[in-house]
Amino acid sequence: MTDTLSRRELARLAVAGLVATAARAAPPVRPGRVGVARLAPSPGHAPIGAAAAERAVAAALAAATGSADGRAAVAALFRPGDTVGIKVNCLGGPRLSPRPELVAALAALLAESGIPAHRIVVFERSSRELARAGFALRRDGGPFLCIGIDNDYDREPSTSGEIGSCFARLVSTTCTALVSFGVVKDHDLAGVSAGLKNLYGVIHNPNKYHDHNCDPYLADLANHPFVRGKLRLTLLDGVVAQCHGGPAYRPDETWPLGAVVAATDPVAADAWAWRVIDGERTRRGLPTLAEAKRPPRFLATAQRYGLGVGDPAAIVEVRA
Amino acid sequence: MTAAFTRREFGIAAGASCAAALFRRPADGAPPAIGAPIAADEPPAREASWYRKLPEGRVECQLCPRGCQVADAERGGCGARENRGGTYTTLVYGAACALHIDPIEKKPFFHVLPGAQALSYATAGCNVECKFCQNWEISQFRPEQVRSAWWPPEALTAAARQRGLPLLAATYSEPTVFWEYVRDAAAAGRGSGVRSVAVSNGFIQEAPLKDVLPLLAAVKVDLKAFSERFYREVVRGELKPVLKTLEVIRASGVWLEIVVLLIPGLNDSEAEVRALVRWVRTNLGTDVPLHFTRFHPTYRLTNLPPTPLATMERSWRIAKDEGLAFPYLGNVPGHAGESTFCPACGYRLIHRIGFEVVENTMAGGRCSRCGRTIPGVWS
Repeated sequence: MTDTLSRRELARLAVAGLVATAARAAPPVRPGRVGVARLAPSPGHAPIGAAAAERAVAAALAAATGSADGRAAVAALFRPGDTVGIKVNCLGGPRLSPRPELVAALAALLAESGIPAHRIVVFERSSRELARAGFALRRDGGPFLCIGIDNDYDREPSTSGEIGSCFARLVSTTCTALVSFGVVKDHDLAGVSAGLKNLYGVIHNPNKYHDHNCDPYLADLANHPFVRGKLRLTLLDGVVAQCHGGPAYRPDETWPLGAVVAATDPVAADAWAWRVIDGERTRRGLPTLAEAKRPPRFLATAQRYGLGVGDPAAIVEVRA
Repeated sequence: MTAAFTRREFGIAAGASCAAALFRRPADGAPPAIGAPIAADEPPAREASWYRKLPEGRVECQLCPRGCQVADAERGGCGARENRGGTYTTLVYGAACALHIDPIEKKPFFHVLPGAQALSYATAGCNVECKFCQNWEISQFRPEQVRSAWWPPEALTAAARQRGLPLLAATYSEPTVFWEYVRDAAAAGRGSGVRSVAVSNGFIQEAPLKDVLPLLAAVKVDLKAFSERFYREVVRGELKPVLKTLEVIRASGVWLEIVVLLIPGLNDSEAEVRALVRWVRTNLGTDVPLHFTRFHPTYRLTNLPPTPLATMERSWRIAKDEGLAFPYLGNVPGHAGESTFCPACGYRLIHRIGFEVVENTMAGGRCSRCGRTIPGVWS
């Protein structure tokens, strides 16, 4: 017996190693695919219950990824060594922010996949916004951490296309993986505020980047290595959605969409949101977002950057 | 652990020290103390002065030419104004994030009380985003991201008076975004012998400019280039409204000085400098001081070198050749271009090195040798 390898054996091993490395390095992305689970709103804005939230999140994840269940989906997207930042969008206050029970359901799945509680970090721009939206702030203990960025940004700006921003250190330094957990709502300037617009909350100066319907700025942000290299998943709380008057909560402009949405393609999630918002606007006799001069044009730019599918007509909705 | 300060921390520490030195905290239960820190999660909110309400709870800001239309819960491009339920609010009124005593030459004003010290203040925020901003750590952040202290207008005036300072200077970031604060501080100072000056990018609408101009002793405007392209790509603003501002200030009689930061390869060509100088000569006259200052790499333009001295001197010569009476150079310590010369007889009237006035031979606003009137605010 010899310890040396033949050329063919060496080549096989090398190929196997490359395949294994690629499989571990690149979590699966399903371009253009959006998973949608049903979850009806509770009467009187009552909490929806942990069990229902867990079922909906798991179902949406499975539909988005083609996995057998939510646990398998999360295991494919994240690794036990990850530190996962879950950016929630709480600008709309308690009635138009991701429900804490949905966020907790995702955190529970992450924990089941082996990620310890202290490396699951739910965050928003400020502690105040989190508390106002019903999240319990937590710097240690509990099933996950929940903290505001407050003023913890990088000391130097970092550039991507037209944007130059200091990133939250959570995003640039601490987290190895990100989840954008937004809502489904109209936005006065961007057109749609769903998964990508939520990410404006990770930079210090989003107010500088709202011209021209946030294009190309939102795409530039999503294309920054801190985001592009880490964003694994978009989840949207579409239990109640808002088709007009955003980003602030306007109860008369909401409707019970009854959906929890998941996508590994962040652009597709927003394109889907555009489609359903325009659908509701049309039903109400409102002009479409394009007619209202605020089409989410950043989606086409994001598609050009290769970040995902930005054409609403090309989105494949997979119902759980 | 490091003992070094960031520029922002240093500014805050300096401001806090200044506050502590000047004022004592009132007894418990009193209103917020002068100089007290402002809670980051709740900056002071006060209805803005220049805006109009739009349908559906939206507002249109009428302060700067951006004319931001802002939905409820959103902010304008400056980050310092927020729509709160259909009422546009300023989040920086009385919220000083920097407070220093500076020589007036640092602004720079070379024709305003030479050698005087100015109590200089700023708040967070700016309505443009210059990629070369020297003060980006306050100008490009929102109020809640920068530690600020409560310094209402009357307190600024009182502090200046207490220290024997003749001037208040709204500077460092962009006074336009705290224009109500500038207005009220200037008005408070007027009654007590403290004059106000503003150091601005000039990107402001005409109405608010004219509202506050009569309260100011002088304005320095940064004319950042002489091309719309530069303004669009490097500043995220517009040139045309700035030129209009210069004309309005000049026509008002309020003392005006202009600064042009020369950035290698971006705005320092001979043709652009000459066009700028000619515009100044034609539209503002030959007596407006025009300062060319030297660029140092910072913020988002760390890839460019400092401006070569040859470029600075060429621009200075162009201004002189085109007939401007008071061209200056800045950030070139010890250069003759820092000093004031009589345009009639060439006599050196004010010898400066850096921000230091070494010698001042002016005689009551006139050349001490030939008697030529030298325009400015001299007393």
